[in-house]
Amino acid sequence: MSKDGRVFCGSLKLSHVGQRVHLAGWVDALRDHGDVLFIHLRDRSGVIQVVFSPEVTPSHVCRLSESLRNEYCVQVRGVVNRRAQGTENPHIQTGTLEVSADELTILSGAQTLPFPVSEKAMLAEGGARRTDSVAEDLRLQYRYLDLRRPTMQENLFKRYAIIKTARDFLHEQGFMEVETPMLTKSTPEGARDYLVPSRHFPGQFYALPQSPQLFKQLLMVAGLERYFQVTRCFRDEDLRPNRQPEFTQLDLEASFMDDHFICELTEEMVCRMFRVGSIDLPRPFPRMTYREAMDSCGTDRPDLRFGLRFVEATDLFQNTRYGIFRQVLQRGGCIKGINVRGQSEKLSKNVLQNEYAREIVPSFGAKGMTWMRVMDGDLDSNIVQFFSDQEKRSIVERFDAVTGDVVLMIADPSYETVVSALGQLRLHLGHRLELISPHAFCPLWVTDFPLFEATEDGVTSNHHPFTSPHGDDLDPDDRQGLLSVLSRAYDLVMNGEELGGGSMRINQKELQLKVFRALGLSHEEVEEKFGFFLRALDFGAPPHGGLALGLDRVVSMVLGTPSIREVTAFPKNRSAFCPLTEAPSEVSQDQLKELGLLDLVEVPSVPGMGERGELIDSLSWAARIGLGEEEKPAVMEALKEAAQLADVAGQRAGEEEPVYAPHRVAGPLREHQTARVCAFAQTGEVFKNAPSVKGDYFKVASVLDP
Amino acid sequence: MHSEVFSHVDPAPVAAKSEGGLLGKRVGVQSLFCVQGWPCEGGSRALKGFVPLEDATVVQRVKGEGGVLVGNTHCSELGLGVTRDSAARAVAEKHVDAAFMIDVLGEARMAAARAGLFGFKPSWGRISRFGLTGLAPSMECCGILAARWKDISAIFSAIASFDERDPSMVVPSELVAEGAQTGSGRNGMVAGFFPQSLERLSSEEREAFSLALGELEGAGVTLRQVEMKEFHLFPVAHQVIASVEASSSCGKYDGVRFGHRATGAKNWNDMYVKTRRESFGLLLKTFLFQGAYFQFENYAAFENACRIRARLVQETRKFFRELDMLVIPTQDNARDAFQARSLKELYSAFSCTLPANVTGQPALSLPGLYRSAGRDMGLQVVGSYLEDEKLFSLADRLVAHREGSA
Repeated sequence: MSKDGRVFCGSLKLSHVGQRVHLAGWVDALRDHGDVLFIHLRDRSGVIQVVFSPEVTPSHVCRLSESLRNEYCVQVRGVVNRRAQGTENPHIQTGTLEVSADELTILSGAQTLPFPVSEKAMLAEGGARRTDSVAEDLRLQYRYLDLRRPTMQENLFKRYAIIKTARDFLHEQGFMEVETPMLTKSTPEGARDYLVPSRHFPGQFYALPQSPQLFKQLLMVAGLERYFQVTRCFRDEDLRPNRQPEFTQLDLEASFMDDHFICELTEEMVCRMFRVGSIDLPRPFPRMTYREAMDSCGTDRPDLRFGLRFVEATDLFQNTRYGIFRQVLQRGGCIKGINVRGQSEKLSKNVLQNEYAREIVPSFGAKGMTWMRVMDGDLDSNIVQFFSDQEKRSIVERFDAVTGDVVLMIADPSYETVVSALGQLRLHLGHRLELISPHAFCPLWVTDFPLFEATEDGVTSNHHPFTSPHGDDLDPDDRQGLLSVLSRAYDLVMNGEELGGGSMRINQKELQLKVFRALGLSHEEVEEKFGFFLRALDFGAPPHGGLALGLDRVVSMVLGTPSIREVTAFPKNRSAFCPLTEAPSEVSQDQLKELGLLDLVEVPSVPGMGERGELIDSLSWAARIGLGEEEKPAVMEALKEAAQLADVAGQRAGEEEPVYAPHRVAGPLREHQTARVCAFAQTGEVFKNAPSVKGDYFKVASVLDP
Repeated sequence: MHSEVFSHVDPAPVAAKSEGGLLGKRVGVQSLFCVQGWPCEGGSRALKGFVPLEDATVVQRVKGEGGVLVGNTHCSELGLGVTRDSAARAVAEKHVDAAFMIDVLGEARMAAARAGLFGFKPSWGRISRFGLTGLAPSMECCGILAARWKDISAIFSAIASFDERDPSMVVPSELVAEGAQTGSGRNGMVAGFFPQSLERLSSEEREAFSLALGELEGAGVTLRQVEMKEFHLFPVAHQVIASVEASSSCGKYDGVRFGHRATGAKNWNDMYVKTRRESFGLLLKTFLFQGAYFQFENYAAFENACRIRARLVQETRKFFRELDMLVIPTQDNARDAFQARSLKELYSAFSCTLPANVTGQPALSLPGLYRSAGRDMGLQVVGSYLEDEKLFSLADRLVAHREGSA
């Protein structure tokens, strides 16, 4: 009971029966029985039925109750009663109770709702309400109503509980939370930075952090030893269905610890976080090197909820007569396969050949797929005649195949193509054959990533340039050598999704400089971009490492929501737009001017275009009239004149109703007249003047927007 | 066939009818008027190769009254301005007895004045515009040029009846009602002139204009000076409204159903942008961009211009409670419509003719009355809206007087 004597709806128990209570909340649902009105009163704790009945409720209260509508915010006083037998409601926790109202205050009315908020049926036989059918943008536009739904409140509450669990655990472990700045320096890979213009430094920008990476490393140099932060990160990345431009990260870093410590710590923390959702994760989390993950699952974030691991088969076909395999092997390629155990019934010849080999697998980037169904110890396939008995035997043996199995193989000169296509095929089959238990949670550490990956003209960091390699013998000029260097990075993967990742960091300036050099950064660039950080490495930087966990993803996975938007109070939609506030939005020219942004716009090269350059372009597009460069000055001049005319018209226009012609014209679309069909259209003569005709149609450029 | 005067000539012109009010009258039309089977390119690539499938109503009526269609005269692009127009020349060189010319800013009157011809712009809604490929529907009319005054009135009565294919036509019942309201019960001729229309004249031109007014007095016209303080707003209203209408009515030139189509477009939008880039000349483009600016960027300016137009129409019509006509110079020497290369020059040159397009009133440029620097400048008389016939009877008297005194 709160200070003002208010009792929470969901907290009412049998022990309250006979007591007069004070409740407040929203009208979740109403049921009008003529004289008697039942409402569901909802607050954050739950729902209770309130009865307005002439027998116990004063008549003026009854009258007032007639004006109640859904989502009115009200205050009620009344006596708690036990419901009559047979009228209990199993859908709500307080279903055996009801409150007979004797006082009602309408605190605030509500208009007609854009979508139903109520999720609880008032009658035993009523089903739970669903809002799945409400368009997400509408939900986001009225997010404050959407968040009134118990499901959403539960999601936010669980989110809070999960994060609090992590905070409490890290606190126990001696970590302290430190805030790092939101206005930071744009990073070298800063193409995805959100930029914030500075008014005091016109034309210069802060960047919102993509991660607090350098600051947390500096906190280690500063001797904080164990740091964590629940922090917002920002990435202006390409749109994906389940991606937000801002997201919450659990960021941590520790000194004098090795990767085992970080992983142990993270495992314990993640287990506790999942336990909030009553999910017990198996410990220890299995580990797999990057190489093993690619070899067996074709991805660096394998979904281990099902088998279908890859089987190496290259060596089985060294002397094969089968042309495709022979050519692949001659070009140094590889052959891998999967044994889809016991699925030959679902994977018919037709499905394998016409769906998978012809359509699906080519869409994964491979040229084709070889399939074999195992029947009575023999192989059944469209190409089996090309294989020798020896080869068939070794296939059965290597794939450990028995009757009812289906062996699928992909061969390609490129290892990457084989594992990538086979990896996608593995996931496709896992879903299609329903091999994935919805209740399974399979965590995994993926370790020993390559430190670099190849680019067209050099290498780039696989994670970020501060990740420590195994060992420090690194030759920045040996491109091939660099590509084989492994890092001390580790990713936490769950059910095929990356939940987080981290690494041990470089704490030696020499090594850090080598990495920068390997990345092709000049001394000047390094100094300009990372000078401040490198200087810190000059002052006794401890060995350190850490990790960042994507909290939105973790919470979404724990709660089993279809998207991270369901666990975010005010998310952007799939287009990174906020339907509630309508951000992003245009800003005034004055704002831009004060920020010195107007001067940054490149001056168009055509003389006379000046600041109207954009107008001429937008009008050219709106009117669909292209302009030659030589025409632009005259059009600019005409637009200047048009603006002057508009000024005069604005100054001199009076209160008269506008007229659009010397006398009122009924218009060609007169009412009560049926449309006439043009005779020339019927005879086809309309096509006589057309530049291009196809059949009974005017022919136009065929593609709208390629 | 093609010549300096005609873009298309009927090699063997014959009258379609052997009787009628226009029997034997030779008529030329701008290549903006649809004549079935004749090329109608309107001086623009936008209409390249366009051959109408049927006659414009005015063409049909000329034929129906025994007139002879001689050919298409050249015109400026889609009829904007007179720089490339040859309609007046066709009349002056006697290839035709009369020429039809779209009058959007005053082109018909201007061309007539320059050539010493009669140039008439009817009341808006009196002559069908069906089959005319114009630019600014609420401003433009089918103008008539002729060397002989009687040809103008004859042609008008032959072509001016109601046409249901032009939804902007005034229906006959309204015509009677409107006509009954103004000027009735007055027998004399009262002409108003206003100093605002003379401000830009040279002293010599003013002198000449006074002489012209003197001639009117001699013909029994009572002169009255009036004030039209907002005379300078006519071009503003006209330009804003006409450019918007032009931008809108040129939307049909997309290279899909007729006209020029650009090649090599990547997609549908690209086809439009390229086609329309190549279709329109620079002067018209500047006009279309102004229209697009008002349409897409500053629609309030268009509405404001329409409010100003409302006031100008009201104010001008008020004069006609006491006046039978307004007398205004058609042109002046300093601003040559035939050399106008920009919208600014164009609107400046037509500033005395375009008010009648804004208000829809009938206007007639009379030759021989107002001469300056050895040139016929054209004296414009503007009549009361929809009372074209009354303007004709006034003109009859002026013409008769001048011919009598000559």
